[in-house]
Amino acid sequence: MSSWYQTNGPQDDIAVSSRIRLARNLSGIPFPARMTNLERAKLNAKVKKAIMESNTPFAKSLKYIDMRDVPETQKYAMVERHIISPEFAKLKDESAVILSSDESISIMIGEEDHIRIQVITSGLQLSEAYDVAERIDSLLHGSLQFAFDSNLGFLTECPTNLGTGLRASVMLHLPALENSGEIGELSSSIAKIGFTVRGMYGEGSKSAAALYQVSNQVTLGLSEKNALENLNIITTQLMEKELESRKKIDTISLEDICFRALATLKNARILSSSEMMQLISRVKLGQSMGILKIDALPIKVLVEAQPFMLMQKYGILEPKDRDIYRANMVREAFG
Amino acid sequence: MLCEKCGKNHATTHIKTVVNGIVREYNLCENCAKAFSYSGNTLTGVLASMFGDITNISSTVEQKQCPVCRSSFADIAKSGKAGCTECYKTFYNELLPYLKRVHGSTKHVGKIPNSAPLMARPKTETVEDLRAKLSQLVAAENYEQAAIVRDKIKEMEAASNE
Repeated sequence: MSSWYQTNGPQDDIAVSSRIRLARNLSGIPFPARMTNLERAKLNAKVKKAIMESNTPFAKSLKYIDMRDVPETQKYAMVERHIISPEFAKLKDESAVILSSDESISIMIGEEDHIRIQVITSGLQLSEAYDVAERIDSLLHGSLQFAFDSNLGFLTECPTNLGTGLRASVMLHLPALENSGEIGELSSSIAKIGFTVRGMYGEGSKSAAALYQVSNQVTLGLSEKNALENLNIITTQLMEKELESRKKIDTISLEDICFRALATLKNARILSSSEMMQLISRVKLGQSMGILKIDALPIKVLVEAQPFMLMQKYGILEPKDRDIYRANMVREAFG
Repeated sequence: MLCEKCGKNHATTHIKTVVNGIVREYNLCENCAKAFSYSGNTLTGVLASMFGDITNISSTVEQKQCPVCRSSFADIAKSGKAGCTECYKTFYNELLPYLKRVHGSTKHVGKIPNSAPLMARPKTETVEDLRAKLSQLVAAENYEQAAIVRDKIKEMEAASNE
């Protein structure tokens, strides 16, 4: 069974993945940051029982994982696959995650909030992902009774999540908007209407692979339906702008960039993470514009060539060796 | 995650900056974070500033404590985070202006637990539609989602029998 990055999804020429996160908490116990390890262990057990013994058919495909049993490398490889948050991977306390076999569902226990339900899919599938998250939420609420206030909605540690507790995001591949510099201006105007655009896998506003995450910021006073609709509208507009911007690049330069990138990926013997991401971004652009005829899924290679993903597969590696293993893996993928 | 600057050590410091509406994130190791001259107070400062001037809070508010986690309003304002769910009841009035600034609203709209989901699944989706979806999902070996759709069909059938 495949994870989000291993399969095609609707409109994934630009929309790489969609993610839904619901923040939920129980009454009468402090938020995780102030919980003792004993309280954390009790919380884990409670949530485990609620979901694993729920007698729902889909619970059978879920696996409860005690995070203290997971080696560091695997934890950070999970971060690279967007299954858990970096903050969650860093935790040394009692914490657990409930994961579906295709990793589309991950329920983090003891992150910033008691429970964080995450659903991640390939392509643009916000309402489908929300639908799954919502069903899990209702299932869990049945036995756990989440803290809810009629005015403030679902109560969360950070007041920025109050209300729906919903953070919806879409990861977009926007190489043309990044190249033209339009992404900066667009991000500013999007920020004014309660959404955030940020670069993924990179430092600063320039993302290493032109991957940007658009997400909602407002959770109080806006229904889930409206938040998702708004995000869909913004996403669609960004995608249109990206396509417009792509048309402005002259064909021969574009072909040159894409073919050169593919040639390097097919031949390099040493490949750093940042070079790999830059080249894969160009290959993805070329593939989605019909310039490069390749079967490989660029994003799959990009995720699998991340540092911890490589170490999970090949064992602990020095950065230099990692670059060699990465080059081998990438060569094979595009070969 | 490795430090973005040196690529050698674990990133232990995560810095998020918002400049002119552009959010930037930096994941750095301890050494590089120091070189970045990141004091560690920037973020808390930004969050806390959203609470306004807390030096002016009345002494009644100052002495008030959450009965469950013992947080004071100053604790919440400084960290930008509540201690437990009860904090919201205890400091409801004090928090309202802040929530208004952050969300532009202080009244929840959306899903209410224990009621029919408000989230619109397409209203037109019939049992037949779902059956078609189910077989597609099964064909694609997407059993998680298939199980969910199957449950939904069962629910709808049960509802129509009532």
